[in-house]
Amino acid sequence: MIRLQSLTRLALAAAFAALPLRAQEGGQEGSTGGGEEAAQAPTDDSDARWFAIQGGDIYTGTGAVLRGATLLAKNGRIHAIGYDLDVPPEAKTLDARGYRLYPGLVAISSQGLLGNASGDFRDTIDPFHFRMVLGLATGITTTGVGSSVVKLKRFSVKDAVINERVFSTFAWSNNNPRGKSELRDKFAAAARYQREYREWQRKVKEQKDLPEPSKRGIDNNVLAVLNGDTTAKFSTNDRDELLGVARLAQEYGFRPVVEGCQEGWTIADELGRAGVRAVVTPRARRTKDERQVFDGGSSIENAAILHRAGVPVAITPATEGVDLGGLVGRDIMHLPLEPGFAVRGGLPERAALESITLQPARYLGVSHRVGSLEVGKDCDVIVTDGDVLHYKTFVQWAVVDGKVVYDKEKELFFAHIRPRPEAEAPRKIDAGETPPKPEAEDGEGEGEKKDDAGGDERRGDDEPK
Amino acid sequence: MLLALAITALQADTSAVAPRAGEVGGPGLAVLAAKAVGCGPGGHDVVDRPVVLVRDGKIESLGPAREVAIPAGYEVVDHGRRWLAPGFVDLHCHIAGGPGGLGDINDAVFLTNPELRAKATVVPRNPLLQRAVAGGVTSVLYIPGSATNMGGQGVLLKTGLAKYEEMVIRDPGSLKLAQAGNPERWTVGVGRSFMNWNTRNTFQRGVRHGRAVAEAEQRGEPAPSSHQWEVFPPLVKKETQISTHTQRYQVVLATLTMVRQELGLDVYIDHGEWYGSKLAAFANELGVDAILGPRAVDLPSPILDTDGKILGIAAEYQRNGHTRIGFNTDSPVLPQEELSVQAAVGVRYGFDDARLDSIRGLTIVPATTAGIAHRVGSLAPGKDADLLVTTGDPVDPRSAVEAVWIEGQRVYDAEADRRLW
Repeated sequence: MIRLQSLTRLALAAAFAALPLRAQEGGQEGSTGGGEEAAQAPTDDSDARWFAIQGGDIYTGTGAVLRGATLLAKNGRIHAIGYDLDVPPEAKTLDARGYRLYPGLVAISSQGLLGNASGDFRDTIDPFHFRMVLGLATGITTTGVGSSVVKLKRFSVKDAVINERVFSTFAWSNNNPRGKSELRDKFAAAARYQREYREWQRKVKEQKDLPEPSKRGIDNNVLAVLNGDTTAKFSTNDRDELLGVARLAQEYGFRPVVEGCQEGWTIADELGRAGVRAVVTPRARRTKDERQVFDGGSSIENAAILHRAGVPVAITPATEGVDLGGLVGRDIMHLPLEPGFAVRGGLPERAALESITLQPARYLGVSHRVGSLEVGKDCDVIVTDGDVLHYKTFVQWAVVDGKVVYDKEKELFFAHIRPRPEAEAPRKIDAGETPPKPEAEDGEGEGEKKDDAGGDERRGDDEPK
Repeated sequence: MLLALAITALQADTSAVAPRAGEVGGPGLAVLAAKAVGCGPGGHDVVDRPVVLVRDGKIESLGPAREVAIPAGYEVVDHGRRWLAPGFVDLHCHIAGGPGGLGDINDAVFLTNPELRAKATVVPRNPLLQRAVAGGVTSVLYIPGSATNMGGQGVLLKTGLAKYEEMVIRDPGSLKLAQAGNPERWTVGVGRSFMNWNTRNTFQRGVRHGRAVAEAEQRGEPAPSSHQWEVFPPLVKKETQISTHTQRYQVVLATLTMVRQELGLDVYIDHGEWYGSKLAAFANELGVDAILGPRAVDLPSPILDTDGKILGIAAEYQRNGHTRIGFNTDSPVLPQEELSVQAAVGVRYGFDDARLDSIRGLTIVPATTAGIAHRVGSLAPGKDADLLVTTGDPVDPRSAVEAVWIEGQRVYDAEADRRLW
């Protein structure tokens, strides 16, 4: 029994533009005559909360594009994506014709979007703070904060924290050789303890009185990494330090997240082999050490080269807070702008989108819930007026858990900038806004916008009903 | 006869350094691409499937490939699906002196220092200039800092050429005026009214000298000379302009009334930001162009009642009636190579781009503002062959600059060299 449609099936659906996708709930598939392809509202959950975003071009974030399709959510989860879905009459709807749907963006790290929260986020998130509005306006629906992962659930703090204790943070610096050797010793000791403990687990079944191996002197953070309970996080840009981290990771079999990675392009193959996962800022600058014989310094091609070497790339802007100084384009409010600079350096558009959606979701251990539009995942969606990576594109609506929590027209900050046309005139996005791609990359449809201006259909209310 | 042979042999020997196609003295060059933007004298025009003919460092002609015949002997470079654009012009640059804090002058000697020269510190082909080229920036106004009300004289430069003499487009490129914002910190601190008085006083003395020189020249008499006031004769003769770091309502107003109305000098808003846009229509009427940046938005603030809106500065200048809007970086405040990003964020925050004013704001507008549009700012016959090859819309951060010619010299090639930006 297939409970969830796979990514492949989603892509196929896009290709053939026919089959709707839905969660097939075993034993509840009683047809009411809507045809095989219609998603059925099961009769036994009359109090279910339904929400449908209709008629938009759905960019699932996994490579598929479904033009003019519908996304149906039930109780805050994506229930179906496809065409001719049977939307229950009581469902709230959002007319997205002429717009695009993308997965809500995932900031690998940010500051201030949760208000002045600190420490225990469960208690200190401010779901009414204006910076949360700016975060949603940016398209961010989930953010890493320290070692926690929080959804930008406006108006509510209930279940906003979706993961905790994600990272164990370590330092690896050429300036502190002793620190490096101490960390190596800790990994060695923890690995030894792990082996002893497993052996003890095996033997203790027969030798009941066999003493448990001593955990004394074992670093809990390191042990958590080796047990797969947390992810090791390093922050370095230096080639030698990156190599050191890669060797440590290879030796002890873990996949570190490395922030910075500016000289990663010089040793991308080594990082790829070691399973390093990168967090990069494509515009970050580092001067080459002129005493160094190797390549060095920052390169605009860094993200592209890492990607080609199999290193996953998440992208974060230079400033992870909201910068209200007026020098724009480099802070968390311009998260979708930053991957554009990686594209400039050769990163495929699809990997660029993943760098602010699926990859950070994976690093943060929440990719089963957010980061792409797939049946069964949380209904965290942004509806935009164009390519999310284009500099002119604005988020029109942000949806978290199947609820519209941001509507550009109704908020203070950006409503005056290219306001949405009235409901009477179905909107056509100017295809010319997107620069033509000289070379087809990834086969992701970057093509013409469907001209939906014809026909007698009048647009419904922009309001979710 | 023998001598002639020897000379021929000598010429053959030196062929390795002979000018390449497009360069001065070299054969002609024909560049083909999918699209050219920033064409024509006004920089409005777009040509599909263009061919640009370059000879002796100048654009010879430009038109659709099906209409323009490529003369025999021209080297043909076909860039396929790439775009062509004129090189960008930044009128607020502090990086021609290179990295490491040894660059730009910012000598706070007096509160007004019209005699100091930024050109003294230029380092050709320094790493920052090379990256500027890789970002498509081919012309800059390199100016002193704003520690005082008059930091000194700027110089207009081509970014990618090897020698200072080749780089200079015009010297003095401008007199740098900083009406407020930083000079308050001079010595023990000075206030707005004293700065205005002192600036006016300096101007009046300088202009008096400038007029005396101009009048003497008209009468054919020997002109008085003054190192201190040397920038004023070209200012009075409208051979150069005043580039003004000016922002906020009262400060922009002082620029318009004092410099433009009272003194009648050519002046433009440079480093325009922070609520100056309320004066856009007045500035436009007075012929004072608006070169905006590095800040691109005005945040909700009690200074300007924005009613909670985040306002694009370029959008506001445009909405309030200004028709000549350009962009600057104030490099290194923003990296020099990110000039085009300033246009992109301008458009993002509401600047109407229906007439390609984003590209014009990077090219023909600043070129006209600085009085160098006869040489740079658009792809038009007779202008310098400062030419960018991009992978798409040159304003889009995703579009990379693949190659750059300055005056017919191929100064950057991302494929052959390492991609710098």
